[in-house]
Amino acid sequence: MDQKDILFKEIFDKNSKKIFHLCYGYTGDKDSANDLLQETFLKVWQNLDKFRNKSLISTWIYRIAVNTCLTYLRSEKRQAKDELTENIIENKIEEFSEKNEQVALLYKSISKLEENDRLIITMVLDELPYNEIADISGISEGNLRVKIHRIKQKLTELYNQHARI
Amino acid sequence: MQEFDQIEALWATHTVDVTISADDMLKQAKKEVNGMRTKSLLNIGGMCLSFIAVACLWLFFDFQSWTTHVGVSIIVLSVAVYTVILYNNHRIISKSDFTVDPNEFISSLKRYQLNRFSLYNKLYWFYTVALSLGMVFFFVEVLGHLDLWIQIVFIIISFGWMIFCSTLVRKAVIKRDKERIALLIEKFERISGQLQGQ
Repeated sequence: MDQKDILFKEIFDKNSKKIFHLCYGYTGDKDSANDLLQETFLKVWQNLDKFRNKSLISTWIYRIAVNTCLTYLRSEKRQAKDELTENIIENKIEEFSEKNEQVALLYKSISKLEENDRLIITMVLDELPYNEIADISGISEGNLRVKIHRIKQKLTELYNQHARI
Repeated sequence: MQEFDQIEALWATHTVDVTISADDMLKQAKKEVNGMRTKSLLNIGGMCLSFIAVACLWLFFDFQSWTTHVGVSIIVLSVAVYTVILYNNHRIISKSDFTVDPNEFISSLKRYQLNRFSLYNKLYWFYTVALSLGMVFFFVEVLGHLDLWIQIVFIIISFGWMIFCSTLVRKAVIKRDKERIALLIEKFERISGQLQGQ
């Protein structure tokens, strides 16, 4: 196994869970999240040689994942799949335990946010430093703080709404 | 009524199962990029084997009639020309690497798609006509000493198979090839667009 393969495996093991959170939060369903995860790491592997250490590798991967997510639903085929997301989540909730049900509800609430907001809040929940989130999303740190405050409120509201149903 | 702190706490305690492992991902990444090249190489390999198999007829059989030699020559030549065309197409996609120059890679994929289209349309008919002609010449001596009904069965099976390949199989291959390459082009264009934005 060459150096690039070893490095890739290390990167995948370190970052895949967080990237999966991001993709799952964005799409609201596991299958699509898996597709996005794979597409993201495919790009990581293909472009690993071009990574120049100008930013943290995790920031670089997040940026690829964010772009992958944002373009994902724009293709017609996937938009159709997105419409099924709600049904998928609702059907799966029944199979889960109480805690998992709350988690599924949380993912469902996240998926109701605006596209960019979904990605930002997932990174906030995964405790990424604000400067890193600002770097990934291309928003100034000041604006980001205001935005995050608003998204937190919106998410709490959506979660409580869904929890009541 | 939940507060955001409780949502954060819920998030922190949950775990997700990433169904794909690093090894699988690595395999898939390599497979995706190399899959088309491997298929194209296998195609060329198959054609080379056909070339050898037909050419070997000269080594193992002592044909008496000039028609058989003409027939085998036409078939061998057609297979050789088709193999060279396939090889030239293969070179288009094998010489460029997406990770080195994405735009060059995408344009070579488009060139490959056009060449494949032409190969399955215009050129395929030349190939089929040449093979049929070669077989007609070949059958004159080879089937000459067999019963008439066996000759008819041979001819029906041979030409029936060629018609089947030229119509149903060819259409299915064109459709699948077109979709596969178009999907790859779309995918790489999307990837390239995103990376330029970074």
